[in-house]
Amino acid sequence: MSRYLSILWTFARACLVRDMTFRANFVLECVTSLGWMAMNLAFYLLVFQFTPEIGAGTGWSKAPFFAFVATGMIINSVVQALFMPSAEELTELVRTGGLDAVLVRPLDAQFLLSMHRVDFSSLANGFVGIGLLAWAVPRLDQPPPPIAWAVYPMLILCGVAILYGLIIMLAAATILMGRNQSLYDFWFYITNFSRYPAEIYAGPWGGPLRAACTFVIPILLVVNVPARVIAQPLTGQAWWPVSGTILAALATLVISRRVFQSALAKYRSASS
Amino acid sequence: MLAADEPVIRVAGLAKEYRVFDKPEGLLASIRGIFHRSSRVVDALRGVDLAVGRGEFVALLGPNGAGKTTFLKLLSGIITPSRGTAHVLGHVPWERADDFRRRFALVMGQRNQLWWDLPAAESFRLHQEIYRIDPTRFARTRDALVDMLGVRKLILQPVRELSLGERMKLELVAALLHEPEVLFLDEPTIGLDVVAQHTIHEFLRHVQRERRVTVMLTTHYMKDVAALCERVVVITHGDILYDGSLVDIVDRFTTHKIVTLDLEDAAAARRLAGCGYPCEIRGPQAILRIDRTRIADVLPDILRGGNVRDVSVEDVPLEEIVAELFRSAPARQAAQEAAS
Repeated sequence: MSRYLSILWTFARACLVRDMTFRANFVLECVTSLGWMAMNLAFYLLVFQFTPEIGAGTGWSKAPFFAFVATGMIINSVVQALFMPSAEELTELVRTGGLDAVLVRPLDAQFLLSMHRVDFSSLANGFVGIGLLAWAVPRLDQPPPPIAWAVYPMLILCGVAILYGLIIMLAAATILMGRNQSLYDFWFYITNFSRYPAEIYAGPWGGPLRAACTFVIPILLVVNVPARVIAQPLTGQAWWPVSGTILAALATLVISRRVFQSALAKYRSASS
Repeated sequence: MLAADEPVIRVAGLAKEYRVFDKPEGLLASIRGIFHRSSRVVDALRGVDLAVGRGEFVALLGPNGAGKTTFLKLLSGIITPSRGTAHVLGHVPWERADDFRRRFALVMGQRNQLWWDLPAAESFRLHQEIYRIDPTRFARTRDALVDMLGVRKLILQPVRELSLGERMKLELVAALLHEPEVLFLDEPTIGLDVVAQHTIHEFLRHVQRERRVTVMLTTHYMKDVAALCERVVVITHGDILYDGSLVDIVDRFTTHKIVTLDLEDAAAARRLAGCGYPCEIRGPQAILRIDRTRIADVLPDILRGGNVRDVSVEDVPLEEIVAELFRSAPARQAAQEAAS
């Protein structure tokens, strides 16, 4: 474990050195990322000018909702910083045969492929998320109890784990198909569902969608469960989604690992 | 643990098939292809047997698409075979055991394994972490390798700013930092100038002799083969056509020698055109192809004819022998199949 952490640190260090080599690009990426986030926040502020709550009786008024948005920002920034740059590069690695060099290294291929690039500029959103959470929490009707603060970081990790598992399964598809340039698009469509409270998925279309995004692809658990623990009163019933999220994270990690291993066994490599 | 006399690489009946999809031309055919695609099976490697001992330097020769790189990819565990077995350093390569992957290296001339935007020193450091190389040993090996290749000044320069030859030298340093017992080289001198090729030849020869590294090299440059390899394996259409020494390949597949005569003038050279052997005239120079078995009889007669300033007798160039071998491969393979 310490060896993998040390290698991850070496990757991170090398990526930081590279980012500092292209400083203007790094600053531009931070500004773009923060700009996109600012536009989203402005849009939500606009929505709350017209309604006090998203969905009557759901509990997602302004402060809880911004705690929700902050939780999403923290989780997504970790994923975007640690895993997405590597996943985006994977398509090219498979297409050009660069994956060969990874497979001959005495190290877990999944680790190497999914974590060899770190995008520090994406962490900017995470810091904004923490700031937003610090703004929202004192404005909640009920302050989160200590148990909620204890569970929250673990659920954040579970959310990251679920998203990581999905990235790995998309990566496996890339290895099997030889080319999957829509990986990032598909990822964007899927994760879009996680950006809003689950309550908005209601009615004849929303109900089945909510079930699918909870039990089949557990994308709705990623942000909803940790955000709910912090932003809404912690009742006895809240523990079911908490345990469900932990189980979903474990299952996603195990299944994605198997899918990835099976894809690697079928890897064809590109002609030289 | 392998016994000292046991082969480091042992391969039996190793075969790799690929299913490839045909893509017919035209828009309509492309649309039809969405619903139905015709495919066929291509034999990249068909039941290869081979054993390589510790410290051998083996050249894998073959035309493009012969299966050389596929063979190296199977031996390094990148892909899995359709049939057959292989053991490298006592391991089944495609099981990808860490203990196995720590003991070999693969260098591909057409692919860059160093971090593109960073100095090679950063990639070396990463290599040290991945292969768990003791810091003292790492520093000693790195310094020895960079000095041998004369690239000490380059390791702090971003890789993207280096020339192809400089990059390849640094790729070799990276590959050898963990002191592998087996080295797979896939066209390591491709696109390099003669100086860089020569430096790499010297370096590889030194490394192989000093460390008893087993090396398998694929190349299209016969200079690489002549400079480095004692043993040659010729692969065509996924089969081994020849496995033997470099000296034997010349004896076995050529019937004549090249005799180059420098004469007094062009007229003297032209007179040799009627000597009964294939003859090429280049000014005052005559190049004859004479049967190997008859050289001793024929040469004195020619020299007695006079006007000869200098003479050289050489084997047919290796490029020519190998090219002929590749050309005649289908007929040879058909004959072998018929005989078996």
